Amino acid sequence: MRQFLRTALCLAALAGTAFFPGASAASDLELTITAPAGAGGGWDSAARSLQEAMMATGEAKSVQVVNVPGAGGTVGLAQFVGSAKGAADQLLVAGITLVGASISNNSPVDLTQVTPLARLTGDPLVVVVPRDSPIKSIDDLLATIKKDVATTIWVGGSAGGADHILAALITKSAGADPSKINYVAYSGGGEALAAMLGGQATAGVSGYGEWEGQIKSGDLRALAISYPEPIEGVEAKPLKAQGLDIELVNWRGIFAPPGVEGADLDALKAAVDNTVKSQQWKDIVKARGWTDYYAPSDEFKGFIASETERVRAILTSIGLAQ
Amino acid sequence: MIERSLKPANRPAVVVAMVLFSVAAVTYWDASRMTARATYGMDANAAAYFICLFLAVLGIGHLFAAFQALPIEAEDADWKAIGWIAVALSGLIGSIWLGAGFTLGSALLFAFTARAFGRKALIVDLVIGIVMGLVVFLLFNKLLSLALPQGPFERLF
Amino acid sequence: MDAINLLIEGFSLAIQPANLIFAAIGVFIGTAVGVLPGIGPALTVALLLPVTFKLDPGGSIIMFAGIYYGGMYGGSTTAILLNTPGESAAVVTALEGNKMARSGRGGPALATAAIGSFVAALVATFALAFLAPPLVKVAVKFAPWDYFGLMLIAFVTVSATFGSSPLRGLTSLAFGLWLGLMGLDQLTGQARLTFGVPQLLDGVEVTTLAVGLFAIGEALHVASRHLYKPEKPIPVKGSIWMTGEDWSRSWKAWLRGTVVGFPIGALPAGGAEIPTFLSYTMEKKLSRKPEEFGSGAIEGVAGPEAANNASAAGTLVPLLTLGLPTSATAAVMLAGFQQYNIQPGPLLFTQHADLVWGLVASLFIANVMLLVLNLPLVGLWVKLLRIPLPWLYGGILVFASMGTIAANPSVVELLLLSAFGVVGFLMRRYDYPVAPAVVGLILGPLADNALRRSVQMSLGDPMVFLEHPSSAIMIAVATIALIAPFVFKGLSRFQQDED
Repeated sequence: MRQFLRTALCLAALAGTAFFPGASAASDLELTITAPAGAGGGWDSAARSLQEAMMATGEAKSVQVVNVPGAGGTVGLAQFVGSAKGAADQLLVAGITLVGASISNNSPVDLTQVTPLARLTGDPLVVVVPRDSPIKSIDDLLATIKKDVATTIWVGGSAGGADHILAALITKSAGADPSKINYVAYSGGGEALAAMLGGQATAGVSGYGEWEGQIKSGDLRALAISYPEPIEGVEAKPLKAQGLDIELVNWRGIFAPPGVEGADLDALKAAVDNTVKSQQWKDIVKARGWTDYYAPSDEFKGFIASETERVRAILTSIGLAQ
Repeated sequence: MIERSLKPANRPAVVVAMVLFSVAAVTYWDASRMTARATYGMDANAAAYFICLFLAVLGIGHLFAAFQALPIEAEDADWKAIGWIAVALSGLIGSIWLGAGFTLGSALLFAFTARAFGRKALIVDLVIGIVMGLVVFLLFNKLLSLALPQGPFERLF
Repeated sequence: MDAINLLIEGFSLAIQPANLIFAAIGVFIGTAVGVLPGIGPALTVALLLPVTFKLDPGGSIIMFAGIYYGGMYGGSTTAILLNTPGESAAVVTALEGNKMARSGRGGPALATAAIGSFVAALVATFALAFLAPPLVKVAVKFAPWDYFGLMLIAFVTVSATFGSSPLRGLTSLAFGLWLGLMGLDQLTGQARLTFGVPQLLDGVEVTTLAVGLFAIGEALHVASRHLYKPEKPIPVKGSIWMTGEDWSRSWKAWLRGTVVGFPIGALPAGGAEIPTFLSYTMEKKLSRKPEEFGSGAIEGVAGPEAANNASAAGTLVPLLTLGLPTSATAAVMLAGFQQYNIQPGPLLFTQHADLVWGLVASLFIANVMLLVLNLPLVGLWVKLLRIPLPWLYGGILVFASMGTIAANPSVVELLLLSAFGVVGFLMRRYDYPVAPAVVGLILGPLADNALRRSVQMSLGDPMVFLEHPSSAIMIAVATIALIAPFVFKGLSRFQQDED
């Protein structure tokens, strides 16, 4: 028994050290990344992947991840804005869900109040119908919506999330009133998948990766992806290529606190940019099945502003924001 | 209705009834302020109204029980011990709140809980608590890389 | 049969020394962590994910399987010995298990839990290996109206946990339902009962409520009586092993628990808790000694524990065949698969057959290891009760709050935990059962969502529940189960009047 315990501890310790390789410390940055979600979720794995890459490339001497879950990330964001102001060693991971949550929760803080460093990844959403559905193309779907918006039952992730927003955008471009959309929210792509396969819904929206298996096996028919360009290995064509001017990506980015300026900000930008361009980061993105959606700080800043306006407009039109 | 005096032992039932009525009132107030409307089917406040009604019925049930049924008996309690555990929990919450760290919080929680159960060796228990908290902290932060709240003490490691 | 050959191949993968060690580590960590109140298998697997990144896919998934089964095992130990369930699926186990431990029968209670878990997991793993593809076809047909029917049945069975007074039981249930309202509504995004506190928008965690009501409430309750009526260390009477009678009362309960647990676990929104309630009610109805329920009936431990573990295997059905995680742990395991670029789903069985069957085989091995690890530990766990009370409860409170802090380091969460502790203490003091509150918190939101999804899909037509035979039958069963006892009581009174 004791022998077993010792072996277990040794192995665990070995695995632990393997995870923190003694990288050549080219940088003396000691960073803390806040993931405004619980351990195991999307933002948490983004934060932990960035941690791994920054330490492996030596862009930071040490990186720690802190989880502050709650209210779609707004709890973590509020804490970050409040307590990390001006601190050049604090970072935050966030994404489009946080933009929506800040608006629909009437949160006093939003992402325009923090300093964007870089947009990192952007996972495409996919629009699907069941295998036996008479709907064969995105145009068929638009026609169905136009005919009767109420009986066109959508399923997808939580109310006001990216899935819901995309469904509303498509409804709108079909010429129907987006506030009349019949969107049945599930806790995530998994539960919504069961509703799709069970034939209870007309169409569904989720992250492409979540439904990839069913799409490849033919249980679901993918009509379109929301990414602006075609993606290698993905058969479904972008909405933009099919005549709908809709682009919506489940993006994630990294931010510095408000009030970080000058040399401090430049150092952080450089560290993040170098990490994102490294082979290590590319390997992680590939292993996790993410899609690269990199944009540097300035471009990302403009993107946040336009994204916030766009999400606010669509949430207002579906009655989730005033 | 015939005036019946309330036995002291029946007071808990009346108190529970009052608590139920006030919770029902708060729930009603909250439900009446909900603005989000479901486009099809039922609104989010349907369940709230239902539970509100359920609570009110249970409140009436408790009022009846207070006058009729057997009293709910409770033994004497050692309020001092309860007080010590309250101190213990406040110690933990306080040290997280003030940023004094997880280890100190656990040590206070452990030592004052032990005090509640009649131990007098507070210093020894504090030391045990600190060691225990620190082991847990190191296990989580170093091995599992999950950051527990840090205070000045934890930053030494 | 092809599946048998594949399974044998799977065993040849799982039996490799390295994989055996991974399974052993997983089982050990899972049990150790499952014993700690408030830290479930989900958090453990999540935290170990990056550590296993360097292992090969087979090895790490085998290790996760060990953690998963181990965590399910460990949760019952503290429930039985300390009335402190480590996770929500062990709440029912605490009802009879702790009563048994109080009367000195902690050993048999732990043993029936361990062997019952073993039997259930064994049967359920077989079912997973051979029934997964057909079963999942049925499971995805389960629509919101069917879930609503299932929730109604579950609600009716809750009364088995009420104890002496229906009024107090219902009040406890109402408390749980009320807490279930808190937070953002999943369907409309409406905030309910959050009073402007952003930390409440995610609702009340079941673990926080369970740990608060049970662990902290119990500590306060014991402390309040400690100096008046010092609780002696509980004597361990007789053998710590099960007697012949224990065996004969347990084995049917194990099998029945398995039959309830596996299919419900395989439902995309079934979960591990509902089968434990159903199994408890069933055992109470079928027991030859129903009067023992409430004071330590062994069937009340054997059935729910088997149901719990069988549902854990059931959860793997939608995970492996659809890529659909139906529990927090399964969600994390899914992330584990994905980090190796393996997408669970309909193609997993054909594209990565070796891996699937290796996993199934290692579940068998993990299961045997668990029994080997846990039966000798029964004696050790029982000795846990010999730790002086001040340290024992000090330790329980530290680990209980650590679980909460690790999952969400927020002061609001700790305040909630303490408040639930106080409520748990008052409920114990005035003889209100605490289990229905946890049940209410679990079932309330599920029933609410299922109901409203149904009428949303039917555009507001309530007939949707009766138009589908499956949901109509379940609603009828629930109604009969609710009304029948009153009718029988009325009939027997009527007959007495006749006489």
